[in-house]
Amino acid sequence: MKRRISFSSSLPIPRALLSHYRRHPLQLLALATMIVLATMLWTGVNQLTSQARASLEQSEQAVAERQQVVRDDGHALMVEDFVSLRLAGVCVMPWLEVTPDSGSRIIGVDPLAAHCFGTGASEALDQPLDGKPFVDMSSAADTPARESRFYLLTPDSTQASDLPNGYHLRTFATGPETGELGDSFLLNLEALGVLVLLITALLLRSVYLLGLAQRRDGFALLHRFGVLPGQVQRWLVVEIIALTLICVVPGVWLGRWLAAGLGGGFGQALDGLFDIPLYAGHGQGWITPVLVMLAVVVIACLGDLLLLRFRERLSLSVPKRLGLATALFMAGLVMAWLAPSLLWVFVAVALVFAGAGWLTPVTVTRFANWRADQSKAPLARWRYRELAVLARRLTLPLVALQFALAMVLAIQALVTTFENTFDRWLGQRLEAAYYIEVPAGADSRKAADWLTGHKASNPGMQWHQVIRGSTRMADKAAASSQQVDIYALAPISSLITGWGLLEAEDHPWEALAGNKGVMINEQLARRQKLGVGDTLQLVLDEQTRDMRILGVYPDYGRPVGEVLLNAEALPDNFNARSESFSITPGELGIGPVTDGLKRIWSVETLSMRDNSTIRELATGVFDQTFALTRAMTLLTLILAASALLMMGWVFFTTRAWYFRLLVVWGMSQQEVAGQLLRLALALTGGIALLALPLGIWLTWVLVHRINPLAFGWSLPMAVYPAFWLELGALSLAIGLSIAALMRRQLGKPSVAPVSASALTGGER
Amino acid sequence: MTESLLAVRGLSKHFVSGNETVPVIEKLSFTMGEGQSLALTGRSGSGKSTLLNLLCGLESPDAGTIVMQGQVFEAGGAAARKKAAAWASLRRQQIGVVFQEANLMPALTLLENVRFRAQLAGRDPANSEDWLTRLDIGDLARRYPDQVSGGQRQRAALAMVFAMEPALMLADEPTGSLDRQTAAEVAQVLFDLQARHGCSLILATHDVELAAGCQQLLDLGHLSAV
Repeated sequence: MKRRISFSSSLPIPRALLSHYRRHPLQLLALATMIVLATMLWTGVNQLTSQARASLEQSEQAVAERQQVVRDDGHALMVEDFVSLRLAGVCVMPWLEVTPDSGSRIIGVDPLAAHCFGTGASEALDQPLDGKPFVDMSSAADTPARESRFYLLTPDSTQASDLPNGYHLRTFATGPETGELGDSFLLNLEALGVLVLLITALLLRSVYLLGLAQRRDGFALLHRFGVLPGQVQRWLVVEIIALTLICVVPGVWLGRWLAAGLGGGFGQALDGLFDIPLYAGHGQGWITPVLVMLAVVVIACLGDLLLLRFRERLSLSVPKRLGLATALFMAGLVMAWLAPSLLWVFVAVALVFAGAGWLTPVTVTRFANWRADQSKAPLARWRYRELAVLARRLTLPLVALQFALAMVLAIQALVTTFENTFDRWLGQRLEAAYYIEVPAGADSRKAADWLTGHKASNPGMQWHQVIRGSTRMADKAAASSQQVDIYALAPISSLITGWGLLEAEDHPWEALAGNKGVMINEQLARRQKLGVGDTLQLVLDEQTRDMRILGVYPDYGRPVGEVLLNAEALPDNFNARSESFSITPGELGIGPVTDGLKRIWSVETLSMRDNSTIRELATGVFDQTFALTRAMTLLTLILAASALLMMGWVFFTTRAWYFRLLVVWGMSQQEVAGQLLRLALALTGGIALLALPLGIWLTWVLVHRINPLAFGWSLPMAVYPAFWLELGALSLAIGLSIAALMRRQLGKPSVAPVSASALTGGER
Repeated sequence: MTESLLAVRGLSKHFVSGNETVPVIEKLSFTMGEGQSLALTGRSGSGKSTLLNLLCGLESPDAGTIVMQGQVFEAGGAAARKKAAAWASLRRQQIGVVFQEANLMPALTLLENVRFRAQLAGRDPANSEDWLTRLDIGDLARRYPDQVSGGQRQRAALAMVFAMEPALMLADEPTGSLDRQTAAEVAQVLFDLQARHGCSLILATHDVELAAGCQQLLDLGHLSAV
């Protein structure tokens, strides 16, 4: 008859299982600490990413380009204008920008009036953003100010024909567009979050399995006492879930605290960019991170138990495992190269990491054994054999460190590339000192003539006129994908000839100035598979015109295709969406220029942007984000290094007897410590070396595969050998720390192992 | 009469357990000639292993003097580093130590272990395989320690010690983990080789039969030399 063990009679089992931790409380502490740290790290990264995304989305909503109503006579708007427009049934929202005598700019809005905008902007404005900058209109009006401006905003749906006489529409923007560069960066941050999750899972698994290995004797004893393995496994599941629930909560709290600390700076940077505090400090709630970490811990620690029934069927011999790992690795590499969509790229990255994770310890082990066979010196042979054992025993923390190093390397390259690209791109786009919009109905040609006349007497002066609009390409049936933006310039000034081009024919700017062709942005080139020398057919004035492509330029700010051409190529009746002048006034100064333009256009005020301020602010937000990303990747590295340190220490503790044998055999402690130092350095140095190609490959995937597939443009691929050296130094520092711990261990008397089993460090 | 290899005079060692000082060895004196064998007996905790550790410099005495091959090691005093270096040199070239278990580096084969030890001692490692053959484990030379039995591991440990041609062998319960028959075989090999190669032997053991194989016996339980 089958004996059944009741729940109450099985209670001694957990007591027996937990007795291990009573004897080894540090093991329990290590596991708990690892769960807390891993949870903190992932929650922190995840929280920051979601906050960053929320902040940017909120920013975009709040400062999205909208319309404003202005008076035809150019006079400033008054409260009476608001009243008359509302009486005429036009949805308008008053917007009073006040720059106080001290402090940041605040914006007075009327929340009731904002509701006619519907969702979107009104939601953004309705949010309690620390009470600032959106304050009640009356509060803004009462604030002592050195400068104030009053606008009346209206939704995009408002048509010019809806307005009463005496008013017209004009675009309204309160900040620059960060464009897709921000989205791209956030996508990469999310990928980083997934990688961090993988690394934390590896670390958790390594610490848990180590503890499990040391409890194996206890399990065997229970088995001999008649306890079924299933019962032990069930209690282990209960144990790890209970421990996780206890540790995950403080971990999530710490992660949120970390994110709040670091994210505060991000919020401030956003203040800087948009001149308004837009830090969406809420991020995710508690449930998601708790559940995710619970799942990760259970899968990482108990995956084997859960798959126990399939384990034998799934287990492979070493050569087969090696073959599978190589196949996964190679398949991942090929798939990353050829992947048609983002999903497949992520699958490819997963395959490459899985393959690398399996191959790395095997590679190190085989290399070490090969070197041992080659070595004539006995100590060198011993050291390489020990290295092979180390690589096998510390597989999980080593692979976690390798992944962390590769990730840090890739993120650093990505961040630096983003920084450089963004700076260069912003510098190109904001080359001129000022940007002045041509008022509706004003004659831009008169202004152009006036500026041409003044340029002759002011050599430092540079300017060009910008005409923006859109048209479609002629060779295919009408479809939204064939719509292209037009970016027309005249003259082709030195403000633009400094732009870097991805590909170009000889003297492209001269050819553009001579109206001998056009340039296209990278998105259009990729989408339509166009290149230099090809012909682009554009519909202008209902006629199809063939235009030769002179060059392709990078464009990170927009998803659509764009054609840069000489404004002379545009027909007179081209429907321009906006016209503006980019001007660097030189010694003349901006005052005389604006006075002159106001006079020519007969207006009292000009819509003008100071590009240097915008550049400064925009750079600020990205600098902060980059610093934050670096901080998070560094934290990941520190966690991986700590885990390796801990595991290394435990490993060397179990093997201390054998290292002490060297002392018994007549080597001084200093000599043995020196050998152990070389061993530890070889291990961490080797891992850093193996992380290098993986990191470079990951960088390539991020900038050359993910970005083009997600956004249609790629970032330049750059590598930073100086940073490799820094990472190498860091790896050696980890090795030095392990060696220092080992040296300390060497000084203590060690107990002879009772057997040469794996549990006592006697494995090979 | 054999020349004196080792002289111990007034040797004392104590350990501190909590607030209590536990004397392990008190004022022990004895001498030992070249090629002689001495069995250390006594109950557990009587100080057998401690004395072996003192005699190879792995631990330092609280009082007394050890003279090994003419080198004088006095308890306390300065130049601890110099003494440690001198002991290390002796262990490397003149003193072979065999423990109850785990005498071999687990990552090296039996042959590599023997070669390693011989090379450390500055001896020619060419005879390493011969030593394994002489100990009847020549066919296991390329196996790792965890691939052979406990008795075979102890034979390999003895091969390692004899390959370094020591003047003194210290053996701490060398057969303690073996079954009776294997223990007898290993003991036979140990005494044969010790006698044939003329090295001195100090053997710590509980086993009366094993102790009887030595020329002298020191019962640390009664602190009396026989």
